[in-house]
Amino acid sequence: MTITIKGDLLMTKETYLHEKHIQLGAKMVDFAGWHMPVQYTSIIEEHKTVREAVGLFDVSHMGEVFISGKDALNFLNKIVPQDISKLNYEKAVYCQLPNLKGGLIDDLIIYKLGIQTYLIICNASRIDEDLNWMVRNKRGLDVKIDNQSHNYSLLAIQGPKAEALMQKTGLDTKQSSFTIKTGDVCGIKVLASRTGYTGEDGFELLVENEFSEELWDKILEQGQEFGIKPIGLGARDTLRLEAALHLYGNDLDEDTTPVEAGLSWSIPKDKKEDYNGKDVIMHQLEHGVDKKLIGLKMLDKSIARHEYDVYYNGEKAGTITSGGVSPVLGANIALAYVKNIKEICTGAIIQVMIREKLHNAVVVKRPFIQKRNRITM
Amino acid sequence: MSITEKILCSKSHEYLLDNENGTYTIGLTDYAIEQLGDIVFLELPEAGTEFKKGEVFATIESVKAASEIYMPISGKITEINEAVVETPEILNEDVYEKGWLVKIETNCDAVEFGDLMEYEDYKEELA
Repeated sequence: MTITIKGDLLMTKETYLHEKHIQLGAKMVDFAGWHMPVQYTSIIEEHKTVREAVGLFDVSHMGEVFISGKDALNFLNKIVPQDISKLNYEKAVYCQLPNLKGGLIDDLIIYKLGIQTYLIICNASRIDEDLNWMVRNKRGLDVKIDNQSHNYSLLAIQGPKAEALMQKTGLDTKQSSFTIKTGDVCGIKVLASRTGYTGEDGFELLVENEFSEELWDKILEQGQEFGIKPIGLGARDTLRLEAALHLYGNDLDEDTTPVEAGLSWSIPKDKKEDYNGKDVIMHQLEHGVDKKLIGLKMLDKSIARHEYDVYYNGEKAGTITSGGVSPVLGANIALAYVKNIKEICTGAIIQVMIREKLHNAVVVKRPFIQKRNRITM
Repeated sequence: MSITEKILCSKSHEYLLDNENGTYTIGLTDYAIEQLGDIVFLELPEAGTEFKKGEVFATIESVKAASEIYMPISGKITEINEAVVETPEILNEDVYEKGWLVKIETNCDAVEFGDLMEYEDYKEELA
């Protein structure tokens, strides 16, 4: 057996909570240039903790970019398909960052913090590309693009007991899903967003780096009675897969449009402003696409993984983009892009090539499990 | 004598146990399983199949990834551990008593044992 440890550890960045992860005995891996905890005890155990109680994640590797200025709204409306004019104060919206062909440079959440102030939270692996693209798109506009990723830590508290825990720490938890408010958690000033990447209710707390360790410790301490555990990136991946949330680099890339990615629900058809890739995206919304994203459930014990081929009727029909175990379903699940033919629909049997053998899978609805929070505009 | 005092280990983390009846048991070391995390899938060959030293004879999957398992010496599979195929989680509890993978018979050249290490040396190699 070959055990590979990816990346050059000397080149990786550390979050302000790195020491905490080491103390907790986490297994560390290189992820998007960061030395991050992949698991503390067991991925399956951590996964179940988030589904049944509450988990604490360090997601400080993610990017935080503040957008401000007279033309902030126009700028954002130019770079995302979503209608930012409709985004109210203290609300959040799930967005994509398309290139001119409609392919995705990244997916992100945009928050409205003030009349001319917005916050973008983006993927760690894409910060540089996002910033380059934004700078290219600001020409002639009065807008400030302020990358604050190095100044903030981001802690996610996710699970059915997240609300009770946050209430106990002093946060006003009346805020609804996809909102952001300033607040106090255990006496520490945070920007609290009711969002997450697990399919559970939860909060993401943006905090200045110098307070991150104290916040981490206090949440773990206060969370004892709710059964809180620290959760690594391994469970973060299995949780988001069950919730069928896209992972950039696996399920989204610069050659895949949001329509192909099954994200049409997030794109307004009546947005007046022009935006990058609009012609392609609107054309696809009207006339359909050649490839589509589907959910799969394996019918045997085999596991479909990233880049495995998918077959239908003996012919190659597509590729798995994310795959793995579903601890909740006790089955193995996957996301795949396939040719957009009507025969490949919910209930259809298709095959996945795993180590030169075809294994049956059934096409199922996404998400694979019932989500507890709903993404709304 | 504990089992780890009797096994030989390969650099690729397989262990070989001499059953002293002409057969050997092959499994993965506790270190390998510790690195992999939660084991969720195992694919073992059919009894009767022959493999050369260094050939892939089985696949193990953790939540994170799939890994190949190599033959520490050449031999013919005589028995597979059906219990671990059915319940791969067994490997997270114990790799030596309950969590062995296959048994083989062999008449391989003694030279094939040359690069196998005693458990203590193997652990030192890892450090």
